[in-house]
Amino acid sequence: MLEMHDVSKIYRTDLIETYALRRFSLQVSPGEFVAITGPSGSGKTTFLNVAGLLEEFDSGRYLLEEKDVRTLSDDERSRLRNERIGFIFQSFNLIPDLDVYDNVEVPLRYRRLSGADRRERIGSALELVGLASRAKHMPAQLSGGQQQRVAIARAIAGDPAFLLADEPTGNLDSLMSRQVMDLLEQINEMGTTILLVTHDPELARRAQRNVHLVDGQISDFRAYEPRAAVAGAMDAAGAARA
Amino acid sequence: MFGYYLRLASRSFRHNPGITALMVLAIALGIAVCVMTLTVYHAMSGNPIWWKNDRLYAVTMDNWDPNHPLNPKSDLPPPEMTYKDTQFLFASNIPERKVVMYSTEGVVSGVGSEPAAQIGTRVTTADFFVMFEAPFLYGNGWSAGADRPPQPLIVLSRRENEKLFAGANSVGRTLRWNDHEFRVIGVLNDWFPRPRFYDLNGGSFALPDDAYIPYGWGSELQLLNKEENDCWRPEKLDTYQDFEASDCVWQQMWVELPDAASRERFQSLVDAYWAEQRKAGRFERPKNNRLTNVAGWLRDNEVVNNDNRVLVGLAFAFLALCLINTVGLLLAKFLNGAAVTGIRRALGASRQQIFAQLLIEVGLLSALGALLGLALAALGLAAVRHMYAAAHLGERGGYQELMHFDVVGVAWAVILAVAATLAAGLYPAWRIGRLSPAVYLKSQ
Amino acid sequence: MNLNVRPIMSALLRNRTGAVLVAVQVAIALAVLANAAYITVQRIERIHRPTGIDEANIFVVESAGFTARFQQTASVREDLAYLRGVSGVSAVTPTNSIPLSDGGNNDSLVTQPDAPRTGYINDMEIDEQGLDALGVKLVAGRNFDREEIQPALTRSDISRFVPTIIVSRALGEYLFPHQSPLGRQVWDASKHQATIVGVVDPVMGNFPGSEHPDRVFFLPRMPAEAIVVRYLVRTRPGQRDAVMRIVESHLAASNPDRVINFVRPLGYFKDLSYLGDSSMEIYLLTVTGLVLAVTALGIFALATFNVSTRTKQIGTRRAVGARRGDIVRYFLIENALITSAGVVTGCALALAAGYWLSVHYALPRLDLYYLVGGVLALWGIGQLAAWQPAWRAAAVPPSVATRTV
Repeated sequence: MLEMHDVSKIYRTDLIETYALRRFSLQVSPGEFVAITGPSGSGKTTFLNVAGLLEEFDSGRYLLEEKDVRTLSDDERSRLRNERIGFIFQSFNLIPDLDVYDNVEVPLRYRRLSGADRRERIGSALELVGLASRAKHMPAQLSGGQQQRVAIARAIAGDPAFLLADEPTGNLDSLMSRQVMDLLEQINEMGTTILLVTHDPELARRAQRNVHLVDGQISDFRAYEPRAAVAGAMDAAGAARA
Repeated sequence: MFGYYLRLASRSFRHNPGITALMVLAIALGIAVCVMTLTVYHAMSGNPIWWKNDRLYAVTMDNWDPNHPLNPKSDLPPPEMTYKDTQFLFASNIPERKVVMYSTEGVVSGVGSEPAAQIGTRVTTADFFVMFEAPFLYGNGWSAGADRPPQPLIVLSRRENEKLFAGANSVGRTLRWNDHEFRVIGVLNDWFPRPRFYDLNGGSFALPDDAYIPYGWGSELQLLNKEENDCWRPEKLDTYQDFEASDCVWQQMWVELPDAASRERFQSLVDAYWAEQRKAGRFERPKNNRLTNVAGWLRDNEVVNNDNRVLVGLAFAFLALCLINTVGLLLAKFLNGAAVTGIRRALGASRQQIFAQLLIEVGLLSALGALLGLALAALGLAAVRHMYAAAHLGERGGYQELMHFDVVGVAWAVILAVAATLAAGLYPAWRIGRLSPAVYLKSQ
Repeated sequence: MNLNVRPIMSALLRNRTGAVLVAVQVAIALAVLANAAYITVQRIERIHRPTGIDEANIFVVESAGFTARFQQTASVREDLAYLRGVSGVSAVTPTNSIPLSDGGNNDSLVTQPDAPRTGYINDMEIDEQGLDALGVKLVAGRNFDREEIQPALTRSDISRFVPTIIVSRALGEYLFPHQSPLGRQVWDASKHQATIVGVVDPVMGNFPGSEHPDRVFFLPRMPAEAIVVRYLVRTRPGQRDAVMRIVESHLAASNPDRVINFVRPLGYFKDLSYLGDSSMEIYLLTVTGLVLAVTALGIFALATFNVSTRTKQIGTRRAVGARRGDIVRYFLIENALITSAGVVTGCALALAAGYWLSVHYALPRLDLYYLVGGVLALWGIGQLAAWQPAWRAAAVPPSVATRTV
């Protein structure tokens, strides 16, 4: 469902040109759970931004659900983000002035659903993450782990095709991290594709497939204990570059 | 520490030029409008002879129509008196000084090649100059003996002296006033009591008269008050003598009473005279004999009118608006710099020190605003003066005199700036100082 | 349209301070705007009240006799003969006072010989060309004849009255309600009788600042022997300034026993009388303009601040699917809520201020049209001021959401 071919992204200042992504290629099939790993500065976040249509790229091709992303207008991109992609950020990014319910509701509001429809979706999302009883609480009243779970609820309330998670456990302790990863696995089992960006090899192990980035390029990929035999998991076309 | 905070403040201004400029401008505008309005208001409501406020008294008696007061809205007697009444009261020696006077017009001629021209002239008894502290440039006024029979002496204003004699010492020179020869005995220096309290006819801000002649010339030349002559009684008024004997009011009387005792004695004299005249059929209205001090006189004559007060209120409302604006901007600015503040707190600054630092920043802002505001106010007043002058409208009244910047204006600006600092800065500085540093350091 | 007002409102309520400050500014601005606009219009209307007088074409000459030789009757006769002969002049009247100048004479008139006096009424001495020189219209009765014009009062003849007068319609209505005043009798303070032979309308007398400036009557009498005598000279349209110059240079030299104090257009005196009103008007307009400017700046600044502190939130919203238009709408709605709160409070404040002004300062009560106008103006300005910040907000890229710096 997601195909990147030779995607490059360059950051330019007056003096320096940096390749955040250098001719990067990747294919992800529906229902996969892929981890993108690499040291800091390797381009993981840039990859996430490009994959999630948060940023544009300079060369290459990116097809999302068979649509060439470059042909999309800003509004169309927004719509895709709204309906097909769910984001989970390292720093949760909950809106501090809204309560839990309103926070989960934010993407649904942009979708012009009826009030009843929204209520139902938010209800089940909060049920899934186990925070239905906290609907009226403010983010400041929740622990880090709970906040991240609200963010997950927000991400899945719209029933997206795939989730992009950026270091989702970066600010959490080991217990909460486990809870979050359990949730992600659960969501993946329900059929949602997940792209997880992390520097923690332990977390990466819980994915089906690994892509390792160094300096904007894939240096290595391997599969760790595939939970299910997914055909074409090893994509030789994305193998080492010169 | 103060110097350090000042340096921090000016650095902060330089790094945030936009919002700083906005705040300085807002404060400046608020202060400018207030200073302008208050300058004018002060000129209007000021008592130009405040140090003598409880010595000088306007004398008035209510001799008016029993069926109809002169001024239905207030219970004030007419501001002028009859000739008969002033003559009687003037004879008393209870007051330390006394003056009876009115304003007329006369044509001055016979001075070299100067064309004849009519000038405002005050017909007055001798004490006028000392009582009202009119300053002399050359010579002096006449003595009481010159009032009656009247000596042909004349005192000129400085402006008139400039016109007739090119500003030279004209004491002893002669001129013709209404074609009678008069000798100059004194020339006044610049004198602009604001308002012209002793005679509020012709507009409160009328300039003082151009010439002064002894009181006796009134009867002698049958002179009339050019501003106010009010009569109500249907009586025989065929001759000037009839006029002087009538109940027409046209003369102004002021007395100088040095203490409460003399005031009481003079009041008793007036009341006794009133009672006696009443028996003879005059003074049919209720007793209303007043001795009014200068402040009361200005108030009774409504020198400061409602419009002035509304404008002052408006100016303060505008200042409040500007200050609230500034508070909002300050809050915004301080909250934006909260991370740095948090670091300072983490490094050991106490709440009070943060509070002091921010308050000094606000103080500097207000000082800049006040300076700019003063400049704007001066410009504004100059523009208004120019506008009045351009329309030649300043001639009749001393309106242009009103629009002068004076010490009071500057004082107001300073006071307002300090008040602005406190009003606008206290809350934001307090709020920032109050928050715990951890909040900022963790903020995204 | 899906306005999303509720979450915006609850977020606003939780973080109130900035919003409250702006709302208070808007409230004060509305109170000032509504009342100032109202007072200004009142003053402008006052200044433009119809006077019935052909102000643009009339100028005033003031002559002061000062020598013992001076004979006012002869001098006036001579001056009138000259003035009436100047080309461009259509009518001249000698008079004792200057219309619209806040200076003049009053007398008391009653409708029964022994009735008590109830007040003083403005009067003016004119001759048979008086009504023409002023340019006022007779609506009933007739003008004075030449023969009717009484000689001037002198120092030894102060209280003589006239047998006939012409009144303004307003005065006629006041003296004889709902009847024609023509032919009726009135008595002056000295119990002299006069008959009303003419009615003019509209006309304003000497005192524009008085409560009833249109209650005035005219006396067919040469101006009293006083310090000065005045001539009202009416010219044909466009000729006034030229005629003024000619007249001034001639009259200044024509009689050595008098000086000409001034030759001035009537407008000069009217402007001086209305100086207070016109100053008030300018002041109010200026301050109102400043108020609006400062308020708009305040709204702009707060909106900009809100945007700059919430870039993370904006980025997040964009990341989860908000379009640029959605972001703009969000900030405009937020701003609209604040402005509306301010406007509502401001209405109460404006009405309270208007009421207080009317009670304490004798200003008329605030007309609601001005309040409505003020509301619309402020609302419009509020949204306009927030437009650019909202637009800037929409430009925040969604990638901000993932940046941790």
